[in-house]
Amino acid sequence: MTLILQAVLLLGLIGITLAIIFGKDLMISVVIYCAFSFLTMLLYNIMGAPDVAFTEAVIGVISTVFFIIILKSIDRKTK
Amino acid sequence: MRKTITIILLITAVFVPFIAFNVLPVIGDPSSAPNTHVSDHYIEHAIDECNSPNMVTAVIVDYRAFDTMFETTVMFLAGLSVIMILANRPKKKIFAPSSLKRFRESGHPIYKTVNKDVMISIIEPVILIYAIYVLFHGEVSLGGGFQAGALIGMTYLLDVMVVKREKPIFNLPKKRAAAIAGIGPFIYALTGFISIIGGGLYLEYNKFPFPIHQAELHSIGITAVEIGVTIGVAGTIITILNALMERISFDDDIN
Amino acid sequence: MMTLINTFLADKGIYMLTLLLLSLGVAGVIVCNNYMKKLICMNVMQVAVIFFFLCLGQKSPGTIPVAMDTVVKASDYINPLPHGLMLTAIVVSLGTTGVGLSLLLRIREKYGTIEEDDMLRREELMTRVEKNGGKRD
Repeated sequence: MTLILQAVLLLGLIGITLAIIFGKDLMISVVIYCAFSFLTMLLYNIMGAPDVAFTEAVIGVISTVFFIIILKSIDRKTK
Repeated sequence: MRKTITIILLITAVFVPFIAFNVLPVIGDPSSAPNTHVSDHYIEHAIDECNSPNMVTAVIVDYRAFDTMFETTVMFLAGLSVIMILANRPKKKIFAPSSLKRFRESGHPIYKTVNKDVMISIIEPVILIYAIYVLFHGEVSLGGGFQAGALIGMTYLLDVMVVKREKPIFNLPKKRAAAIAGIGPFIYALTGFISIIGGGLYLEYNKFPFPIHQAELHSIGITAVEIGVTIGVAGTIITILNALMERISFDDDIN
Repeated sequence: MMTLINTFLADKGIYMLTLLLLSLGVAGVIVCNNYMKKLICMNVMQVAVIFFFLCLGQKSPGTIPVAMDTVVKASDYINPLPHGLMLTAIVVSLGTTGVGLSLLLRIREKYGTIEEDDMLRREELMTRVEKNGGKRD
């Protein structure tokens, strides 16, 4: 049962990665990356690694904030 | 179009050798190669050798403590290199401290009706208490030095980004924060030398020169090392945040 | 049916999906024109590698690696060694992200853009101007 749940979450991660690669707006990419790290945290929790999930939950938030700070000085639109 | 073709080519190139050979163990097999040799020893002897029921903490800061020391040093060096890359200033005259305040006030005016100061003042002490709890219970329950350091760094980040203050409570410019981050690996390395004084090897906790029981010595060693890791990680996060925010305000004044 | 799916996933399926995620991360680093997206794809790649390591430590009937009084057998606990290794890797990934972002800022200050082809064009223009002694063309 956990393996099926893991597979579903991995498919979600792959979809999010495709959305990041093909997106046109950097702000949307960064906010989607926050969702990516949240799904990763769920995945680590399911497979029995709560220590790693705890670390990922905090570090994902901090790296998203770093990306958003940088977005103030660069253009959001990309080709 | 070029993107799609490249992605498909790469995926095929990775998949063909993987389907042809069968080298990886089955997931969930308790007798596969990564699950047998040394990890059984870690699981069975974590309590009587290290006095630490959380086996992850036992692996990180007791069995493989020398490894973790250099991981903390890598974090410190990352913060230092961020300062070095952003050290030069493009023009002298562009320094203006008021721009940082404008950055904090940005946003839609409807959000000014929410009283963020009160919310943050309630949340911040709770996060700090939780960080201290995670730090000192790292060997008994989930958590440890890295998580506590990241939580303390996140508290500083919340304080800087959300609350509008004339003068911040903890005034930590990037140089001072880097000095604090350097204290962490220093405490870690000093803990190793204490066990050398007691006649053991480097970071061998049960040779500490204190007249108490063996298990207590391990607890003291793990706690000291984790305090060092916490200070290092929190200092590095604050360093990177301050360096980036300072440069962004410079960058804003040019345009 | 359920056991068939479970056997396939445990044998090869999870590894395949992890490999797909890793190759998507590598493709993003190669293909994307924007340096910010390259950084995000580098983080995706790191997540795939960390997930692969944690897969090796799973045991199907197992609890989390915190010792309890009622469970004494070593095969009932999930392997704590990959957790310890990967926990430090996640924290170090924050440091690499910070260094990458500071390099991004320097690139933006020097060239005025973070798109790769614009940057290469501007570099070429700058060298040509330098060769002609300060004049264009």
